[in-house]
Amino acid sequence: MTLRVEPSADDLPERPRVLLVDDDEVNLLLTSVALQDQGFDVIEASGGEQALRVLADWLPDIVVLDAVMPGLDGFETCRELRSLPGFESLPVLMLTGLDDDASITRAYEAGATDFFVKSTQWSLLAGRLRYLLRASRTRVELERSKSRLARAQDLARMGSFDWRRGQNGPVFSIEGLRVFGLGAGEQPAFRSLLRMIPEEERKAFLELTHSAMDRSTVLATDVHARLVDGRQRIVHIEAEPEFNEHGNLVGYTGIVQDVTDRRLAEDRIRHLANFDTLTGLPNRRQLIWRAERALEHGRRLGHEVALLLIDLDRFKVINDTLGHGAGDDLLIEVSRRLRSCVRHSDQVLESSLESVGVRSHRTLEAVGRLGGDEFVALLPEVSDEEDAERVATRILEVMRKPIMIGLQECFVTASVGIAIFPRDGTTVADLLRNSDIAMYAVKSAGRNSSSLYRPNLAGKGREKLELESALHKAIERNELVLHYQPKIDVRGARMIGAEALMRWRRHGQLVAPGDFIPLAEETGLIIPLSEWAIRETARQARVWQDNFGFADSIAVNLPSRLFERTDLVEYIHNAVTTYGVPHHAIELEITETGLMKDLQNVIPSLHRLNEIGVEISIDDFGTGYSSLAYLTTLPISELKIDRSFVRDLGMTPQSSAVVTAIIALARSLGLRVIAEGVENLRQMEVLHRLGCGIMQGFLFSKPQPPEDIERWLQQTVLPKKAPWIGQASSHDNAEPVRVRAREPRGKPIGKLP
Amino acid sequence: MSFDSPSSLAGSSASSAHAAVLDTDALERLRELDPLGKSRLLERVLRAFEASARRLARQFGEARAAGDMQGIRHVVHTLKSSSASIGAVCLARLCAEIEASIRIEAFASLPERLDAMDRELAAVLQAVTPMLSAAGTPT
Repeated sequence: MTLRVEPSADDLPERPRVLLVDDDEVNLLLTSVALQDQGFDVIEASGGEQALRVLADWLPDIVVLDAVMPGLDGFETCRELRSLPGFESLPVLMLTGLDDDASITRAYEAGATDFFVKSTQWSLLAGRLRYLLRASRTRVELERSKSRLARAQDLARMGSFDWRRGQNGPVFSIEGLRVFGLGAGEQPAFRSLLRMIPEEERKAFLELTHSAMDRSTVLATDVHARLVDGRQRIVHIEAEPEFNEHGNLVGYTGIVQDVTDRRLAEDRIRHLANFDTLTGLPNRRQLIWRAERALEHGRRLGHEVALLLIDLDRFKVINDTLGHGAGDDLLIEVSRRLRSCVRHSDQVLESSLESVGVRSHRTLEAVGRLGGDEFVALLPEVSDEEDAERVATRILEVMRKPIMIGLQECFVTASVGIAIFPRDGTTVADLLRNSDIAMYAVKSAGRNSSSLYRPNLAGKGREKLELESALHKAIERNELVLHYQPKIDVRGARMIGAEALMRWRRHGQLVAPGDFIPLAEETGLIIPLSEWAIRETARQARVWQDNFGFADSIAVNLPSRLFERTDLVEYIHNAVTTYGVPHHAIELEITETGLMKDLQNVIPSLHRLNEIGVEISIDDFGTGYSSLAYLTTLPISELKIDRSFVRDLGMTPQSSAVVTAIIALARSLGLRVIAEGVENLRQMEVLHRLGCGIMQGFLFSKPQPPEDIERWLQQTVLPKKAPWIGQASSHDNAEPVRVRAREPRGKPIGKLP
Repeated sequence: MSFDSPSSLAGSSASSAHAAVLDTDALERLRELDPLGKSRLLERVLRAFEASARRLARQFGEARAAGDMQGIRHVVHTLKSSSASIGAVCLARLCAEIEASIRIEAFASLPERLDAMDRELAAVLQAVTPMLSAAGTPT
């Protein structure tokens, strides 16, 4: 059994089937035998009528017809056969006499594929048949691939055309006509095609085609076309020149394609890549592109370029209190107002940018959104810095009107930093950084204003300024984290609270608090930082409450200036109610020094906080010069023995004297006392003996992320596995302590003052 | 015309008789189509020729008597190729000449040619008939 393989052009059927028609029995027999001998399957017919009968239910691969026959002769038979469906391209070979030219012509006219002179050289006939079969296969393949091409072109909304010199217009394929909304047979004149192109584009298109033809070059362009039915399409035209043997241009051949959908998609992608989806303004990428173009022009034409960095003041508060939806609405309105301050162009005509000398760079002018609440205004040409300042003033002006968000009136101000090319920088990156420094100077000077970049701003130390502006964004970038250090009741071997300590994760690394807290203090950033810490602590208290029934308080360090704020109580109240924890979940720590410095201003806050249940702890106690008289009247709950005394415990007699005094004082005032910086068991024992049972320090746990605290509770405290557990109650045991606490060495990490 | 006049073949053997009217090369080509004689091709071809030639000879006589040129033309056209096939070279040439003459309507020497063809056809049949009885065995 042989496997049947689909035959291809080179691969003829194993035994091609032949219908052999001849009225002469001798010839019929001999030809038939000869062909069978050469590998053909032959069915014989002795005349035209019989041949047509055979074809009614049998399809040969080829027909061999004797031309001259009585009755229906070869020519008539061929004509009949061709009119049958499915026989249009069946190869038909007509057998004629050697000297019968007339028959040859008639054979072709009747639709024969080829003719063959009768001969007794049978192998010649077989060879001719094979050749015909191969040619026919190739033709079938060609037809198939032609129809596949037509279908592919149809799918691609593409068609071809041909234009010969001297012709009235291009001749389109059916698919090509369809691109223009025309039917088969509606070959349009060149003029009517031109009329489809909008007038303003027509001249340019004509110039392009003429120049391509004059230089005999490839033509490739997109044109807008208004079709007969009124549809607006974009048609891509691509044509190649054709030459005759003398190398002269004889015409063009090419394709037309409806690229409307593709172009719309491309436009949409381009828009998404270059414009902010919320506000529709150019995004960072587009802005930088425009700014780079503007600098090129400035360099070439010798003028100044201004970059204004606009940062909304306290946008985060709005986002946090009214929600992100409201925040988005506000950004949209702000964008609208900012646009009105400059000659904003959404589209930049790239081609026009290339022409030198004209004021085309004006189209670069725009307001864009860098991200968050940061915007940039690009002024591609300013005559002096006052020009830029005028725009900044206009920006501050348009912000003055309240913005309605829902039913709420919001007042938004902005801080604007200005950098001028080339004075303040020759690259976009430099200008952005310097405008940021200038903007930040506005923020620290009280916001709602604008400032030009000045080298003396950089004189403050570029690094520091960069740190400042980075810290400024740390909150919204979620770079700040709180770590927690447990407060331990040593006798009960349990955690009775924790202190929250701020960390800044910048570029994947933790910045030591000592490196940014003083800066935050100095610049006033400590206020938003502290506010964030309060909210975050309330949130964490809630998480712990849910996870393991935490009901104690977490201490947050606050600078004294925050206590001066009249809305502190309200702020804390909002924070704890947002997360559904009691007021005492938050405890505030204020340093003794800070408290004493501002005592008069701080006291009212302390009272109000105390009234709502927020406890106050005095940090670093013993280092300042507290007026003990005041201490008795202050609504405070806890004294925290400064780590320096704890460190020296057992080493200097003074230290234990101070600690003893503090403990005594606390006791007499009815205050809790806690020791911090406890690093080893000896310190723990001494403190405990002196009467301080609450401690904090590396001996127990370093400050850790909240989830690590939970794990520490689970794995160390609850199973009572730590060396310090049990020591407190047996401190008078004669056995010396042998187990050393494993703890990291080095300086204890600082904390918010 | 009659086939019972054995004048040209009298006294001669079949092989020498057909050697005159049938081309041995052509016969050889026919044998090559069926070298082992399995399909008895030579016999079948000769039988087919004989049957067809006798029929055509009858049609020829009728057409000639009626002066039917197209009838004659059809006879010579058919006979032309079938006689060529069995190697009746002379008959085939005569048929071709007659066919061409009728086509170009050159009737001048036609009667002589027709007579010659008539004679040659009789001679070919005379040569073929004895071969049929011996068919299957190569000569």
